[in-house]
Amino acid sequence: MYKSKSKAMLLLPWLLVLPVVILRAFTTVYPIITTVTDSFFDIRLLAGKNEFCGFSNYVKMFRDPKVLISISFTVIFVLVSMFFHLLLGVLLALALNMKFKGQRFLRTIVLIPWAMPSVVAGMAAKWAFNNDYGLINDLIRRIIPSFNYNWLIYRGSARAAVIAVDLWKDLPFFAILVLSNLQFISSDIYEAAKVDGASTWQSFTQITLPLIAKGVATLCIPFTLWRLTSFDLVYSMTSGGPGEDTALIAYRITTEAFTNLNIGYASAMAVVLFLIMLAFSLLNMKLTNSKKFET
Amino acid sequence: MKAGLQKVLSMALATGMVMGLASVPALADDASGDYDLTLYSIQTTDPDFQDWLDNVESGTGLKINVIAAPTDSDTRQQKITTMLSTGDTSVDIIEINDEMSTAFKNSGWLEGLNDTVMTDDVRSKFAQGYVDQMITNADGQVIGVPSYTGYLAFWVNQQIMDEVGIESIDTKDDFVKYMEAVSGDGRFGYGGSWEKTYVFNEIAQFVNMFGGDYYDWTNPHNKEAMEFLHDMVQKGYTSLDQLPDKYEQMNPKANDGKYGCWFMWGTGTDYDKAGMLGDDKIHMAMVPCFAEDGSRSVFTDSWSYVLNAASEHKDAAYKFLQYMTGKDGMEASFKYFDRYPARADLAEEIVPDDNPVKAMYARYASECKVQGRPMLPQTMEFISAMGTIFQSYMRDEITIDDFLTQAQGYVEEYQ
Repeated sequence: MYKSKSKAMLLLPWLLVLPVVILRAFTTVYPIITTVTDSFFDIRLLAGKNEFCGFSNYVKMFRDPKVLISISFTVIFVLVSMFFHLLLGVLLALALNMKFKGQRFLRTIVLIPWAMPSVVAGMAAKWAFNNDYGLINDLIRRIIPSFNYNWLIYRGSARAAVIAVDLWKDLPFFAILVLSNLQFISSDIYEAAKVDGASTWQSFTQITLPLIAKGVATLCIPFTLWRLTSFDLVYSMTSGGPGEDTALIAYRITTEAFTNLNIGYASAMAVVLFLIMLAFSLLNMKLTNSKKFET
Repeated sequence: MKAGLQKVLSMALATGMVMGLASVPALADDASGDYDLTLYSIQTTDPDFQDWLDNVESGTGLKINVIAAPTDSDTRQQKITTMLSTGDTSVDIIEINDEMSTAFKNSGWLEGLNDTVMTDDVRSKFAQGYVDQMITNADGQVIGVPSYTGYLAFWVNQQIMDEVGIESIDTKDDFVKYMEAVSGDGRFGYGGSWEKTYVFNEIAQFVNMFGGDYYDWTNPHNKEAMEFLHDMVQKGYTSLDQLPDKYEQMNPKANDGKYGCWFMWGTGTDYDKAGMLGDDKIHMAMVPCFAEDGSRSVFTDSWSYVLNAASEHKDAAYKFLQYMTGKDGMEASFKYFDRYPARADLAEEIVPDDNPVKAMYARYASECKVQGRPMLPQTMEFISAMGTIFQSYMRDEITIDDFLTQAQGYVEEYQ
């Protein structure tokens, strides 16, 4: 009697989560399987094609100059953006952690850009970087009146502009999350260090950084993955231009899938991106679980 | 007591959920039962849209549900593509542009209208070249009803023309003289929308003006046209700043007097709103003649009402489309949206003689070689690819020969 009741109790949790598992399987596992399957087919809706093509979509992808440009910019975008997220995010968090009048107000307003939809931010940024009507050049002209430069027409400056807007938008959220890590550090530790004669710099490098390192590294996983899948900012700000110079890989996938209707080719790119994200996540999880981060 | 309260609350929540679920089908039934058909429209942001809808509903006797299409062109195209390709039945009539009709007309997603709406006698009233090139599929079925006639018109700023003392821009020499006279101090003789998916209008326009062929990039006139545009950038007659510009960026610059002339669709609504439309300010002019044979070229375009092949309300949809092909439908579009009637015979009746657009459109129709824009089945890929290499050439990242070779490659690839 007791045994059968405990068996039933063991089954109960599974039964309760079953609806969620089914829903998740339908909305996540099924699309993944379909995407992988489609990636082996030449599916072009506008041309009425749907033929098995083996790995040719994958081969084509690594020979397609547009995709190669997208991959190179995605790598640059992720590395540069995450570098500045880490650097400026920690600095901003430290600043917000200081005690001063209006601290709470500042912590609130700093999140405004993050709360703004990316598409809106992108459209506003397109105007902001306009040479004739833009806010950025207007500010610069107050110092250098003869300044004339259109940021969105050259590869380097257009890419820098996209990264800058991405940072402007998401950095505050990153900083607020770092701040929550900082607030877990007991002030007793700093006081003890001060009694032992530690300088501010030593307190920062020997106490603060090690104690927030694991939290910050964990934060890097979703923030990096969001950068890898970012498409809305570029979509509304540059449409991937000039030429294809700011077309992130997620933007390229969306364009191939929903504008050009090359479903098979887009699926192959999505599979590669999925594998990169999976590998990155596993690597990051391994790193954050390693002894280096134990405090 | 606490446990009792929890039980009551749980019961209330569960009851609410069950009631909520039970009421969903009833709501859905009400929503679908209210309307005869659903229209996916690009005009909903027009202040007179409701008046237009009232007119159409009373004219057809239909109760029409309207869904607003996104204003952003890329988003709009993606949504429409997704709806049609998935056999979505929630929308019956959709307004699509030439890019979309070229892409979709042979896909089987749009209903052929030859026997129901665009019968021989009706079809013959529309511009035949446009109907054949843009909205007739490979089986000879017309898949849309043009909602207006538009031209990629040549616009000039009369104030600038008066300032530099040039009375007309009729030939290539006139055009170049105007460029020289106007350009300088942050002002440019020519302005454009050179965003990669917009610029193909102007590339094709200049190719046509030079007597070239957009589908044949071995044609020497194509090369001449591209080098001419490149020279305009080099000489400061036009600006590389317009590389990311769509029409919403170009028109304010035109209104601000930054451009001496440009090509633009429509009847000048943006200039009118800025108080800049008029014979003494910004107005349409005849397209200059660049070609050696003395011909002038102009593109025509339209947005067409099409019927979703998956629609479950086809009879109502036919009624709507038939209304749109007739005088009342075209008059409503002209009255409420300033859309120039697509049927020349009705334009003559509907548009007042003192309307400046009427006179210029009549001249375009009679004096120019009127053509639909050059598009291939893989429309957006082709347009985007051409725009990308054009931008590269203008920025001197590739040579003219590279441009021509790649352009010819794209024509063959997307054919």
